[in-house]
Amino acid sequence: MKNMGFRKKRGDTPNIQFKESMNSLPEIPLNPSLDINIDILKSAYKDCADVVFRDFSISSEINAVLLYIDGLSNTEEIDQHVLMPLIQLKNPIEGPIFERVKKEISVSDIKEFSTIPDIFKQISIGNPIILIERQTMGISVGLPKWEKRSMKEPDAETVIRGPREGFVETLRVNTSLLRRKIRHPLLKMKQISIGGYTETQVIVAYIEGLAENTLVNEVTHRLKRIKMDGILESGYIEEMIQDSPLSPFPQLLNTERPDVAAACLLEGRVIILIDGTPFSLIAPCTFSSLLQAPEDYYNPFYISTLIRWLRYIFFFIGLLAPSAYVAILTFHQEMLPTSLLLTIAQSREQIPFPALVEAFMMEVTFEALREAGVRLPKQVGAAVSIVGALVIGQAATASGLVSSPMVMVVAITGIASFLVPRYAAGITIRLLRFPIMILSGMLGLLGVMLGITTIVAHLCTLKSFGVPYLNSAAGLKLRNVKDVLVRAPWWAMDTRPELFSEDTRNRRREAENQMPSPEKGDGG
Amino acid sequence: MIEKGRISGLELALIMYATVSATAILYIPYITAQHAKRDLWLSPIWGSLSGFLIVVIIVILSRYFPGKTLIEYCELILGRTIGKIIAFLYLFFLLHDTSIAFREYGEFVESAFLHRTPMLFVTGSIAISCAIAVHGGIQTIGRCAVLFLPIVFVSYVLIYIFLIPDLNLKNMLPIMADGVLPSIKGSLAPHAWLSQYSLMSFLLPLVTKQQKVMKWGIVSVVASVLTMVLMNLGNLFLFGDILINLQFPVFEAARFVSVGSFFEHIESIIIAVWVLGGFIQLSAFFYMVVLGTSQWLKLPSYKPFVLPIGFLIILFSVWTIPSFEDMIRGMGTTVPYYFLTIQLIIPSLLLCVAVIRWKKPKSFMQ
Repeated sequence: MKNMGFRKKRGDTPNIQFKESMNSLPEIPLNPSLDINIDILKSAYKDCADVVFRDFSISSEINAVLLYIDGLSNTEEIDQHVLMPLIQLKNPIEGPIFERVKKEISVSDIKEFSTIPDIFKQISIGNPIILIERQTMGISVGLPKWEKRSMKEPDAETVIRGPREGFVETLRVNTSLLRRKIRHPLLKMKQISIGGYTETQVIVAYIEGLAENTLVNEVTHRLKRIKMDGILESGYIEEMIQDSPLSPFPQLLNTERPDVAAACLLEGRVIILIDGTPFSLIAPCTFSSLLQAPEDYYNPFYISTLIRWLRYIFFFIGLLAPSAYVAILTFHQEMLPTSLLLTIAQSREQIPFPALVEAFMMEVTFEALREAGVRLPKQVGAAVSIVGALVIGQAATASGLVSSPMVMVVAITGIASFLVPRYAAGITIRLLRFPIMILSGMLGLLGVMLGITTIVAHLCTLKSFGVPYLNSAAGLKLRNVKDVLVRAPWWAMDTRPELFSEDTRNRRREAENQMPSPEKGDGG
Repeated sequence: MIEKGRISGLELALIMYATVSATAILYIPYITAQHAKRDLWLSPIWGSLSGFLIVVIIVILSRYFPGKTLIEYCELILGRTIGKIIAFLYLFFLLHDTSIAFREYGEFVESAFLHRTPMLFVTGSIAISCAIAVHGGIQTIGRCAVLFLPIVFVSYVLIYIFLIPDLNLKNMLPIMADGVLPSIKGSLAPHAWLSQYSLMSFLLPLVTKQQKVMKWGIVSVVASVLTMVLMNLGNLFLFGDILINLQFPVFEAARFVSVGSFFEHIESIIIAVWVLGGFIQLSAFFYMVVLGTSQWLKLPSYKPFVLPIGFLIILFSVWTIPSFEDMIRGMGTTVPYYFLTIQLIIPSLLLCVAVIRWKKPKSFMQ
């Protein structure tokens, strides 16, 4: 802090020294002399080719300066609605000039400010500013404009039925997407800026009355605690605010879909939107929500329930299939029916490795293939799939390195980990599969069980923003499992999920007796 | 209180059920059968007497001293010095009991499938897993119990459902051919196991609805006794007189299951599922030792104690038991008297002194 702020240099012109966040700059007021202000700003924006200082005079009498960052502001609009009316202003002497100028600018969003750090903030978000001779106030004009990606369907969370829009990198667009879904004024959006250099705008969105105050306060408190030089993606924030930083399980959900975000808001959760990334964070997160896909709620409930169970089963297959295979082949051959045992023994006759090594080789290869497929440019992608089919497929078994049952197991495991709708949870399964494989290679099924007990014990201790991770599963309350064990039809999901046990007010989310039937309709 | 977490009455019942029954279904049938022969299913019913008695004593004591465990009110009742000594005695017994439980687990796993793995490795690996649960506190153990025990329960019921065609009800006749005495002799081991309900005193202060602890305690004892009785009956129906020679009859039973000629030899799965119950049992024991020790030493937190006590438990499990045969012989002879002395006499003594020295608290019920 010592070296910050102004230092008198070259007579009257102070020099600004940046050391830390813009938020911690001292509040230097604007000087009445336009030249001094300009000198300060020019020294601050030294070697910044994209900053434009445009001197002009209001109706050729009063000097003024227009300042903006090229590419962040809409220059056409500036010319038309700011520069032109000011330069052509008639009778500038009448009345106070500052008020006249504000009236002449035909832009809806106009702010006044009186300190130098405000200038930095305003022009960095694309608002051009005007400084006028002999005025200790400046005007910032809301004319930001920069290149945005157009909205498209999120690649990581595709649906067959459901909205196709996704969040983009621009915060304002994302807030508008949420606001368009939830129009109630109780949808609150608190803004916080994080990151010493990046000044990333972060929005904490929640519905007042549905989200617990303690939760909102906790989220804001943890966000404000973050002191780092830059936030470039939601992952930075996620790792800085989770409850158990060393746990492999995701403690915040992320989504690119406004409909998912809106649904979570309606359940009383908090959404964290971050400027510069299409991913928003959802807090708190419970284990059951890792296995819920947005489309579950759009499709008929029978099929959603079935698919949800399929997902649960494949979650365990994805986690345990290779280790169970290793355990049975190494320790418990008697469990297999004789004919199957013979087939497997026959196919393994040529294989030089024990089952554990074989499984490890194949799983690592599969992970490598997947990683290659994600990182490679699309043109080369086809080559990866061809090679992949060779590595995990007929050629692998023909070469005598792996047995064909192992290829089956790896393939099923691979499919199972794609079945997890949340990418973050899929990563966790892939990660945990390996230690369990080692355990099963050492202790057989007992090792697999030890892996499970350890993971479940860990899950039981986990909390996400004070909400137990296994909340609904271990609570044993029937009304909590209607969105876990089944996907109840919408007319039966009449209460919000219970995130905090003590909270009972405002629990209903629909009126009573909503089950449709012909008699209740008014058509007859 | 050191422990911040709370459990529900159901969780209390489940934890105590696992603590008593997990190893009971392994060892009790064999030990009981040595004396009781065909009447082995009666023995747990006699044994339930000490279970009920101890639950009542412990619950009444907890009404005298709400929010305190046996270690804490021992000192209040008997004064500082004697209280500390008796509490230490109880605590040391608990450590011993816990290490016996770990050893039972280890011996069973060794004889069931890991014949040549060193015992330390088997008990040590589950101790690490339990340490995570213990570190998480009682809430973690309670949640694990709610998640795991239904799986264990269903799979054990399934064994006997699959075996219905092989069950022969006539195997239990004649009932009490040699009078009541053999079944009472055989009830020594069930007495020992059910006396472990005295450990409930560690969990009672942590239950949210205090009025219902008596009900849940009794429910838990009934469930344990029923499990032992039904398990013994099932084995008796299946094996008849050869039951006396079977070390782990439940798993011999699992070996018999064969459905559609592909679903057979499920004993490995049954053992693996049993580990879930064993995990709850060992975690609960482990937790009680850790909690008791830190209460005895009046420490602000029990978490730093988890690993050192885990070490001690594993060491004790090696030191105190020379071999599997000695362990089984002890369970049929000395261990029940040892268990009953500590777990029945100490609480009864405390209750007597408490009744004489302390007035009935206002919140006294039942």
